Amino acid sequence: MRARLLSSCVTALTLSLSVSLSAQMSPKPVPQDTVIKGGTILTVTHGTIQNGSIYIHDGKIAEVGQAVHAPANAIIIDATGKYVMPGIVDAHSHSALDGDVNEATSPVTPQMMMRDAFDYTDKAIYHSLAGGVTTSLLLHGSANMIGGEAVVIKHKFGLDRDDLLFPNAPRSIKFASGENPKRVYGGRNQLPSTRMGNFAVQRAALQEAKEYMRDWDAYDAKVKAGDKTAKAPKRDLKLDELADVLRGKVMVQIHCYRADELLNEIAIAKEFGYNLRALHHGLEVYKVAQKVADAHVGLATFADWWGFKTEAWDAIPWNAVMSMRKGVIVAIKSDSNDFARRLNQEAAKTIRYGGATEDEALRMITLNPAWIIGVDDRVGSIDVGKDADIAIWNGHPLSIYGRVEKVLIDGSVFFDVNSGKYGLPFWKDGPMTGRDGFGNDDSDGEVDY
Amino acid sequence: MKNFIVRTLVAISLSALMFAQAPAAKQSKTFAKPPAMSPAPPPQLGPVALRGGKLLTISHGVIENGVVVLENGKIAAVGGAGTAIPKNARVIDCTGMTIYPGLIDSSTQLGLTEISAVDMTNDLVETSDEIMPHMHVSDAFHAESELIPVTRMNGITNAVVVPASRDTLPGQMAFIKLDGRDKDDMLLIRDISMPLNFTGRQRRNESFNTSRYPSTRMGMAAQLRQAFIDAQDYAQKWDDYNKKGADNSKDKKDAGSPPKRDFRLEALIPYLQGKKPVVLTASEPSDIKTAMRLAKEFNLKVILGGIAHAQMMVDEIAASHLPVIVGSIYDIPDTNERYDIEYSWPAELVKHGVKIAFASYDSHNVRNLPYAAGYAVAYGLPYEEAMKALTINPAEIWGVSDQLGSLDVGKTANVVVANGDPLDPRTDVKRVFIAGRDIPMVSRQTELRDEYSK
Repeated sequence: MRARLLSSCVTALTLSLSVSLSAQMSPKPVPQDTVIKGGTILTVTHGTIQNGSIYIHDGKIAEVGQAVHAPANAIIIDATGKYVMPGIVDAHSHSALDGDVNEATSPVTPQMMMRDAFDYTDKAIYHSLAGGVTTSLLLHGSANMIGGEAVVIKHKFGLDRDDLLFPNAPRSIKFASGENPKRVYGGRNQLPSTRMGNFAVQRAALQEAKEYMRDWDAYDAKVKAGDKTAKAPKRDLKLDELADVLRGKVMVQIHCYRADELLNEIAIAKEFGYNLRALHHGLEVYKVAQKVADAHVGLATFADWWGFKTEAWDAIPWNAVMSMRKGVIVAIKSDSNDFARRLNQEAAKTIRYGGATEDEALRMITLNPAWIIGVDDRVGSIDVGKDADIAIWNGHPLSIYGRVEKVLIDGSVFFDVNSGKYGLPFWKDGPMTGRDGFGNDDSDGEVDY
Repeated sequence: MKNFIVRTLVAISLSALMFAQAPAAKQSKTFAKPPAMSPAPPPQLGPVALRGGKLLTISHGVIENGVVVLENGKIAAVGGAGTAIPKNARVIDCTGMTIYPGLIDSSTQLGLTEISAVDMTNDLVETSDEIMPHMHVSDAFHAESELIPVTRMNGITNAVVVPASRDTLPGQMAFIKLDGRDKDDMLLIRDISMPLNFTGRQRRNESFNTSRYPSTRMGMAAQLRQAFIDAQDYAQKWDDYNKKGADNSKDKKDAGSPPKRDFRLEALIPYLQGKKPVVLTASEPSDIKTAMRLAKEFNLKVILGGIAHAQMMVDEIAASHLPVIVGSIYDIPDTNERYDIEYSWPAELVKHGVKIAFASYDSHNVRNLPYAAGYAVAYGLPYEEAMKALTINPAEIWGVSDQLGSLDVGKTANVVVANGDPLDPRTDVKRVFIAGRDIPMVSRQTELRDEYSK
């Protein structure tokens, strides 16, 4: 709690600083009344509307249907012959971090805040925006059992740093298990070097946090009871964060592959009582899908990646659909600056492998990842009241021939294929600055996935 | 485990034995031999007729409601609904299906890796030196790799196997088919070509303390030039020796003892003689130009590969009339490049008259090759050109267009039946024929799927 208070003070401070530092970035746009008119609207939640319209007011979707009631002066975006879908949501990204994904100097580093490394000028944000992505969860790598707190961004490329942060997004922390931690630390002859070691490290950290939380709770109770002699326990950023996990204030996103391992993770979450939101990768979920569904844990997975390491040897491209049919909430995620640019094609593969419907395939890159991030009440479908995060395509987004033409975020156009050299209304033409989107390829790639 | 080690040892000693037995004198003659296809595999069991599908012939347009007859591993007939079907043929109804020739991937690591992160399953490249033309992927090719059934089930029937790009000259490539009883069946053309890599990744400059020669592009170029000069000298020595022996056949003693054999230099000779092409692989214009200058110096026959960031020299590439292997479509653009510069690169090359062939530059994901072509179509490449770049163009580039790359009578019966557009990821491939064999649509992955669907 105190950590949160402190950090919001810090955020406020950086905010006021950054205003003066970032004159070259565009100011935050004021969303105009806008109507997207005449397109085929893929709502994701309530089917397809032919020749439909969307009225956007104050950056939100105000009306959706065959006809809408917009003021006469609203900006009209003609989408005749186009396909309109909610902005794509990527539940597993390492973009825009310049390779700062693993503080691999200790297997437990929950105090690592992704927002401290996030680079809002990184071209990877632009490249995936041009592929229809509007929201991403930037996660730590998997070198550590407990990596740190993630950050949720909107791809408002060209605006200032804090304008890209998804306002009031729920907090997520990255946990990991399996080959990566044991390889990284085992390679140094340290704990953990086995899966036994992995889980021992994870349990020890959680137990320590439990006791820390108990000490603080006891202290708070004393203070509340008016005990003036009560002595505050020593603050520890590491344990502050983990205590928030145990209090259910931070969702856990766990990197794991094998069926046995993910069942262990589900059991440990139950044992310590924290909110295990989703299994990331989870390439063997199809083997135990009913158990995962019963535990109400989601899955963010690859469409067809396999064989890159031993724990990915049993990966099959039917994983997503087989798991979905058992009731698991499944997202197709990128885990890569490359795939983040074409998640629509990855989702299309679920139609071929397992027979997902078009709506189900689209849900895997919109509403389902939004649920995993905890923002499904605000993005991920074309519904009244949601943020106007919308991608307009020249063809069906699940077709290989579909191309993004415009992307709106909070009702403003952030990508327009016809806007200047780069298609970026908020980025001035001329030489680009900032990092070039290679971030996670430069780092120790093998501990990203 | 023990078994594995024993098998490995046996394999090592076997291959050592094979080298020891190679007759030295005969070898020099084989320089002149053109690459030959391996003997044909056993013929298919009886003729098969695919009836009612939409045929993408590649060579002569689209035939709706067509017929393809496969017999003895070859295409025996291609035509419209009225095409004669042999009485004894097994007729397969292909109504609603799209039928096209097997796809060819011009750069893969199939058979050289099983699990990427497990070193013992990788035979990708020998990094102890940068000039390794005497490495042959055919020696490492693992015919029983689980990756092969996974790949061919998506309609990829042939591939070029290429060593990884860490060395300037990493070794000899092989042209394979993705079916066969053993490696002899599958390795259609051994040593078909070799990569000449010049991307900068071949520098040995990991850190200032551990770097060794060549740690710069200057070093790479000097080392490469020296290797080709050494090979020229070596070839000359053998020529002189052979000539002396021939001039004075009565007294062979005059010829002296034969020069010491050097497999490394010997492997470069077919390239110096222009009998085989190198795949000159570079990314940036400056690297392409340096490597091209070297290739010209030694009269090397060149196929271009990579060239992801060479848009500014597209006219020069077109003027060279060299074919290009395109695998760059998913490369990340450079800092000042537009997001779609790589997506539209195949279209740009074709617009300038360049012959292109697609390659995945991959191992486990080779099956996704057609989607790169499809995405290039989204960014301006004509559909027919995309299909050609997966079939007849690579067949021509690799010198096998008399046998592969189109639905034409007399060609090898590599034929794919799918329920839609081959370039779209929603399409399901239903049947694959390789040399007429009806490939079982089974892989390790389908077995796992079926087991856990019970």
